[in-house]
Amino acid sequence: MKKKIIISIILLLLLLSILLSLLIGFDEYSFIDIFNIIFNHTYENNHIFKIIKYIRIPKIIMICITGGGLATSGCVLQAILHNPLADPFTLGISGGAAFGAMISLLLNLSSKLGFITMPLCAFVGAMISMLIVYILSFRKHFNPHTMILSGIIVSSVCMSIVMLVFILSPIDSIYMTFTWLLGNFSILDERLVIFTTTIVTLCILLILLLSNILNIIYLGNDKVTTLGLNINKYITIFFLLTSLITATIVSISGIIGFVGLIIPNICKSIVGDNNVVVIPFSAYTGALLLLLCDSLSNFLFRPIVLPIGIITNILGSLFFIFLLLQKKNK
Amino acid sequence: MIKVRNIYAKYISRSVLTDCSFDIHNKDFIGIIGKNGAGKSTLLKILCKVIPPYTGNILIDNKDISHMDNAELAKTVSFLPQNVNTDLSFTVLNFILFGRYPYMNRLKFPSRNDYNIVYNIIKILNLQEKTKIAVNNLSDGEKQKVLIGQVLAQQTDVIILDEPTSHLDIGNRNVIFNLLKKLNTQYGKTIIITVHDLNIASAFCNQFIILDNGIIYKKGTPLEVFQCGILEKIYNIKFIIQMHPTLQYPYILLTSK
Repeated sequence: MKKKIIISIILLLLLLSILLSLLIGFDEYSFIDIFNIIFNHTYENNHIFKIIKYIRIPKIIMICITGGGLATSGCVLQAILHNPLADPFTLGISGGAAFGAMISLLLNLSSKLGFITMPLCAFVGAMISMLIVYILSFRKHFNPHTMILSGIIVSSVCMSIVMLVFILSPIDSIYMTFTWLLGNFSILDERLVIFTTTIVTLCILLILLLSNILNIIYLGNDKVTTLGLNINKYITIFFLLTSLITATIVSISGIIGFVGLIIPNICKSIVGDNNVVVIPFSAYTGALLLLLCDSLSNFLFRPIVLPIGIITNILGSLFFIFLLLQKKNK
Repeated sequence: MIKVRNIYAKYISRSVLTDCSFDIHNKDFIGIIGKNGAGKSTLLKILCKVIPPYTGNILIDNKDISHMDNAELAKTVSFLPQNVNTDLSFTVLNFILFGRYPYMNRLKFPSRNDYNIVYNIIKILNLQEKTKIAVNNLSDGEKQKVLIGQVLAQQTDVIILDEPTSHLDIGNRNVIFNLLKKLNTQYGKTIIITVHDLNIASAFCNQFIILDNGIIYKKGTPLEVFQCGILEKIYNIKFIIQMHPTLQYPYILLTSK
């Protein structure tokens, strides 16, 4: 009963945050403005309508998709790797994406082929790094520990090259990539939002359908094998789905760390380990957390908008300290 | 009937099992004993296809398990490894339900029949009051019972267990062995178990296999196996072997510290 109340409260808070994010930004609007836009179409040619439709709604969608997608990926990775510290960024996805974005910057592809080139390169970079991690960690059998180690190695190599390029590049040419690298929702292409939303939603739905299989993976490789499950096949499927979610998100929103780590841990402490419940709960709690972080990034140093990755990193570090203190007390 | 023929196993270049051949009859209660590192767990893992042998065959009812797919084998042999994760908040009901996995649909959602079977197992295990308790809140003895319940949910004729009582107190060891004996005698299950506590194993198993450095050193009944010469050679320690005055099984005592 207590769990159901908490789940309902968080769902309610998410809806409230979405509404507030529609109303509050650089300009603030009233409920009546929003009501008129939705139901009376009285503002169709007015700037409020344009701001809501072309800036705030895509941004809210992207934030929710990013938070939900990263939290879902975190849940899946923590289950298949049997490690509560696993998250999409431990596995080298961020490093690969940053490397891809760097290539686009180095070759000046954005000015030749449009802004979409950088997210596209980031996506390709993330997928390639995932592939390398995957190949390194599968030798006959899947090994969770090798996967985390491979992820850290790939990530370190990629980030070292990125830093090298940063140092060698003229300062004005790296600004855009740098703000993207820290997590940014300020520049959103409508087509990219639709693309990301479709991919991430489909992947989350597939993961939800397979969530019972994810539960069985908790038991450990030996037990799972004797239950007749082809563990390598399902690990590959889950790995592909989480890679696709994370690479798509990272390529659009930049590197937003810790959401995939914090949210599944908090949600599991509330509703338990059952992935049938944890995954949807984590998905919308992740969306809520990121909406709140976005509000913080808008209002902390107004009019300067902080990259959202800075806020999530601070929160992530505080969460780690909290975990450490809790373990110490136990 | 299980026929094990000329099994060799290697970890990288180190030989773990060498030319192991033996038969296990239906409804046997077999204890596999031997020193740490003798190859007991490897043998069990090969028996249920968790790892493949380097060479050799295992036939269950004349069917080579290397030609059976995992799902088919999961309905024939169930296995309880040493390292199953029980630090999970699933209820006892849902945890035992995992054992029904080989019988579930593609997305692995349980049917009414799966639930009925699991409720029945909970009754056999005498865990009715714990049905809705989270597994991570149970005692070690109860956790082990639940794990055996999960194995039972697979409804296989052969049950293989890797040291299921190693971390339990003497009372709980007795409870688990009695449960296994009940499954063996009342439900006709073939039980294959690795164990270090020779005295409790002697009280319950009707056959023993002694492994020594990957070789089958001796196979036989408790009386045939529990002999000073054999056990002293395996464990490098002096024993006195006596017969239990009322239960009529051999048990061992150490002659010195």
